[in-house]
Amino acid sequence: MGRAKIKRGSTNVDMTAMCDVAFLLLTFFILATKFKPSEAVEIVTPGSVSNKHAPQKDAFTVSIDKADRVFINMTDEIKGDVFDEMMSERHMKVTPEDRKYFLEAGFIGVPLSQLLQFIRVPTDELKNTKFTGVPADSTNNELQAWIGAAVAAGQGKKLNFLIKGDDAAKYPAFSGVIEAFKKNDIYKYNLVTTVEDVPEGSELFKANLKAQQSETPPAK
Amino acid sequence: MAEMEVKSGGGHKGPGVKKSKKKSTRVDLTPMVDLGFLLITFFIFTTTMAQPTAMNLNMPKDTDKPDEVNKVKESGSLTLMLGKGNVVYYYFGNDPATMQTTNYKDVRKIILDKKKSTPVDDLFVIIKPDKDATYKNAVDMLDEMTINDIGRYAMVNPTSDEYNKIQQTEKAAGVQ
Repeated sequence: MGRAKIKRGSTNVDMTAMCDVAFLLLTFFILATKFKPSEAVEIVTPGSVSNKHAPQKDAFTVSIDKADRVFINMTDEIKGDVFDEMMSERHMKVTPEDRKYFLEAGFIGVPLSQLLQFIRVPTDELKNTKFTGVPADSTNNELQAWIGAAVAAGQGKKLNFLIKGDDAAKYPAFSGVIEAFKKNDIYKYNLVTTVEDVPEGSELFKANLKAQQSETPPAK
Repeated sequence: MAEMEVKSGGGHKGPGVKKSKKKSTRVDLTPMVDLGFLLITFFIFTTTMAQPTAMNLNMPKDTDKPDEVNKVKESGSLTLMLGKGNVVYYYFGNDPATMQTTNYKDVRKIILDKKKSTPVDDLFVIIKPDKDATYKNAVDMLDEMTINDIGRYAMVNPTSDEYNKIQQTEKAAGVQ
């Protein structure tokens, strides 16, 4: 009675296929990653303990840079409508070409009178261009008009209003932006911030800890 | 894994005939796969973490009607004024003359002390950033409210009296 012989297979595995998959995925992720486009206006946002993600859809962002200039960004879904609304409100004659340029422009950073020239400046030349920002003072509050246009254009949609201020921006600029929102009966905003750790031992820290413990009851 | 399969040339061919050694063309791909997945992991993590966060801010409606105005008990109010050069001025109650100076690190203790010594329903923190305060100062202070779990607070502009007093103090202290 001889025992059946068990053939010993090689433990070597062909890695080629796995390597192919790995690099395919790698290529995909590299191509799919959208790197943050280099911004003409650099804004360093302050830190906060909030860990809620900033809304990305239907977002209307008002940025304040360190020189207290105000800029407006909009997501593509609402951009066209807001432009149409604003132009008809101010009785400005625009061509379809203007509209196309506006949709491609990254942000609004000049008074309305210069807008049509501004949107024709190519993105990579913006860094060398001087712009004054959207006027938001009491004499000529165009920011308020833009917000009004956005509200009118986004009828029925829930717009997300974001304020993105620079660390070094002065408070009056921020207060002016809030005032412009208030005039349009908007009282809820999101302040864009970077994540900061909750200080240990504070009330919020304890509250978070409690919430965590109740979520994961100790195993018995 | 690193295999270099060297096949012995087909037996003896007699003297004078050179043996041609055939080397295998197989390369060990394991490190390459490792590297690939490492990079994938890196890209996956960087793509999701780039999203900015946001904090909510709800402002009250401006009103002129006196009965809609929030009433604040004097005993429960703490006023924090944010001045130039990351300095905080604070006073309790209604008297700006008792203003004291602190900074953003120590202000937490003052808020907590006030919170402990005041009934929850009476506590009201008034944040008054002046013209020289930065946006960061305002956000930091709002954040402080979240951290210390202060339910009722408001952000208003300082009165001209208060602003003058801050400026005097700043001048005396030489804050740039």
